[in-house]
Amino acid sequence: MTIDERTRPAPASPPRGSGSATAKRILPLPVTGQEFVLIGVIVVLWVLLGIFTPAFLTANSIQPLLVSVAPIALIGVGMTFIIITAGIDVSVGGAIMLCAVVVAKTMVSVDIPLIGAVALAVALGLVLGLVNGVLIAYGRVAAIIITFGTANLFQFFALRVFGSSTVNGIPSTLEVFGRGEAGRTLGVPNSFAIMIVIAAVAWWYLRHAAGGRHLFAIGGNTNAARLVGIKVQPRVMLAYGLTGALVGLGACFILASGTATLDQSVGAGKELQVIAAVVIGGTSILGGRGSVIGTVLGAILVQTVTSGVTQLGWPSQLANLFVGIFIIIAVGTDLLRERARRKA
Amino acid sequence: MSAETPTATATATYRLELHDIVKSYGGVRAIRHADFAIKPGTVHALVGENGAGKSTLIKIIAGAEIPDAGTIAFDGAVTTIGSTSDSIALGVQTVYQEPQLFPELSVAENVFVGRELKKGGRVDWKAEADQIHGLLDTVGLPDRIATMPVGTLSIAEQQQVSIAKALAGDASVLILDEPSAILTDSEIEVLFTVIRRLTATGVSVIYISHRLDELFVIADEVTVMRDGETITTRPIGELSVREIAELMVGGVLAESRPKGAGTSGETVLELTNLTRAGKFENISFAVRAGEIVGLYGLVGSGAGDIAGVVYGMDKATSGTMRLSGEDVVVKRPSQAKKIGIRLLPANRSAQGSFSFQSISLNIVVGELGKLSRIPGWVSGRAQQSIARDFIKRLAVKTPSEKQPISAMSGGNAQKVVLARQLVETPKLLVLAEPTQGVDVGAKEEIHRIISNLADDGSAVLVVTSDLGEVLRISDRILVVRAGEIAAEFTPQATQVEILAAAAGDQTSETLS
Repeated sequence: MTIDERTRPAPASPPRGSGSATAKRILPLPVTGQEFVLIGVIVVLWVLLGIFTPAFLTANSIQPLLVSVAPIALIGVGMTFIIITAGIDVSVGGAIMLCAVVVAKTMVSVDIPLIGAVALAVALGLVLGLVNGVLIAYGRVAAIIITFGTANLFQFFALRVFGSSTVNGIPSTLEVFGRGEAGRTLGVPNSFAIMIVIAAVAWWYLRHAAGGRHLFAIGGNTNAARLVGIKVQPRVMLAYGLTGALVGLGACFILASGTATLDQSVGAGKELQVIAAVVIGGTSILGGRGSVIGTVLGAILVQTVTSGVTQLGWPSQLANLFVGIFIIIAVGTDLLRERARRKA
Repeated sequence: MSAETPTATATATYRLELHDIVKSYGGVRAIRHADFAIKPGTVHALVGENGAGKSTLIKIIAGAEIPDAGTIAFDGAVTTIGSTSDSIALGVQTVYQEPQLFPELSVAENVFVGRELKKGGRVDWKAEADQIHGLLDTVGLPDRIATMPVGTLSIAEQQQVSIAKALAGDASVLILDEPSAILTDSEIEVLFTVIRRLTATGVSVIYISHRLDELFVIADEVTVMRDGETITTRPIGELSVREIAELMVGGVLAESRPKGAGTSGETVLELTNLTRAGKFENISFAVRAGEIVGLYGLVGSGAGDIAGVVYGMDKATSGTMRLSGEDVVVKRPSQAKKIGIRLLPANRSAQGSFSFQSISLNIVVGELGKLSRIPGWVSGRAQQSIARDFIKRLAVKTPSEKQPISAMSGGNAQKVVLARQLVETPKLLVLAEPTQGVDVGAKEEIHRIISNLADDGSAVLVVTSDLGEVLRISDRILVVRAGEIAAEFTPQATQVEILAAAAGDQTSETLS
């Protein structure tokens, strides 16, 4: 693009209406280059795992993999909203723990139906998310500081609910989200299918609704967003609220995929898996760019690596090594691209 | 652009009128008295020195500030502008000097963001695509740019996108805040073509610029502000660059350093054909020991960039720099420091101070290694005594050297940052906008400190866009315009002569 091209007198203006040809292209393509790379990496990994551990490419192996992907990708959808606004939420691990223990204890002591358990978890998660959202949007404190603080608070409350023992004898109310036969429809885990539906709605919202585009604007340049009349604070608050609600549902998925006993390790480190999925999926940690498709692919990749390492019989810490390398590659290319652009 | 424009122009002489505007911040009068009126379809330039009240007046029109007194009329009808949305509703749009855009979003999205065209709960991309072509055409951008992320465009193109964004909001009054400061000559040509196209459709343009020469190309009328008052409004053809400069500065004469000070020392800094591509070209001058050289330039002139290269923050692309007779290539600030150069940065909150640290730490931070004979040990007592010494010498007003710098007024904070450069008497001291945002009393004191420092034998280079300041403290004044030294003056020059040279009056160059 040189100036000369434009200082020349404009040729007779193109016929009006020719714009429709480019109408769709106001937006970038629905699937980006990075997402194709991710799909490629996942395919290569699955093929390699299929060759070296023939049991990998069977329903008995893939179904549990998808069950483990579901909560990470589901919460990752909310985290994508947050990171697009240039925020972060490191409290989701603590929030999962609190939602899970409250729902588990309630199910043990009261005979509540499935819908009641889910509603309780989602409502509690929403409240926890809004606590973060209000403090970050209206208190104007850095998101990482606030959520680091609330992570500890949520854990404290969760441990109080646990008391000194594990929660035992959890009824099978949530088995519809679980690993077993009851948790599948046509061979597909229900939790994974629900996650895909929610991710699809979120994808559409981020891409085509004004409210979704405003999240990108906020992450790209908060001040400019305010100048064009975007209500920045409520939008930011809702992104954290949404994540909280998804944490509630995700906690149900996690409960369902476990045993009848819940111990204090639930949710531990989940925030890192979720953030890893979002970042590997190509959402910029600097804000303003990102996609739900990438996040779902990122979650599949992270869980494939974890499950693959186990199935190959390798030491489990190798999974951390590989996930770490993927994060560094993803964030590194993002930062290098940003730096190159600033220089240009 | 708006549909009601034709009828409105028929009934009212002025699109926008401001009468008897007064605005104070606390006890400070930003605007004592302002009258301003712009006709439909014209370009009205607003000029004045820094602090004359231009930006306050613009903020009042944009609704970002509310005047204490005065009336505002739009198309002949008296109205009130109580918020930015009131102003936008009237059709006022502002294009700020730094483009307020979203780098990751496409050009088309940037133009419509905040006022998306919607269809059934979603953004109507097709309708936006249909409209974007006309808007891009008006601002002189090609169609295919519509889908590119704004972050990949040049600054000039981003500014055109900002104008397109303003037009999408049905602008009838467009405020351009120093649009040319960041543009090259050919880019300015494009901008002017765009402005003419807009005025032809009835848009009124308020054009703020420091480059007086370009007003004669683009403006119809000019309003000059000085000390918070609108001095005059005249058709541009009735004035010359020199006359506008005279109106801007008034008849004020600045005191200057004693004649002949600092002309006898040996040469400390010598620049020969120093060039940094795109910023400045073939800069040659020398600064002697005991001499204060003032480098005066308007925003975007490149004067600040010269200081950056001397201190090693940026690299020169060609040319040489000599320090005390030796060729030096300063690659980084730590090296500049080692060879005896100190810099007082312009943006002191970002580049100059450690906000939450004490005054004393802020003073000694550059010399921590020299505070004790034991390597690595910082002597608290030495730190305290150096800090107390400087607080006395520079008359810093503070109860204790332990106060954090963030608790101090601008003038006092600036003295602290200045003190840091003086812990070891520098061979060459470079000061960038040393008194920006500092009150009058502190300004005098800082000038005295700089003057004393030169008398003690340091070579001093002051980069400033403050006309009074450059005349007051310099032994020699170099005017930088468009990356070149346009003229050289003695402190006996008048403000008018210097401003005219900096703003592009061709005749004044022959004076040098």
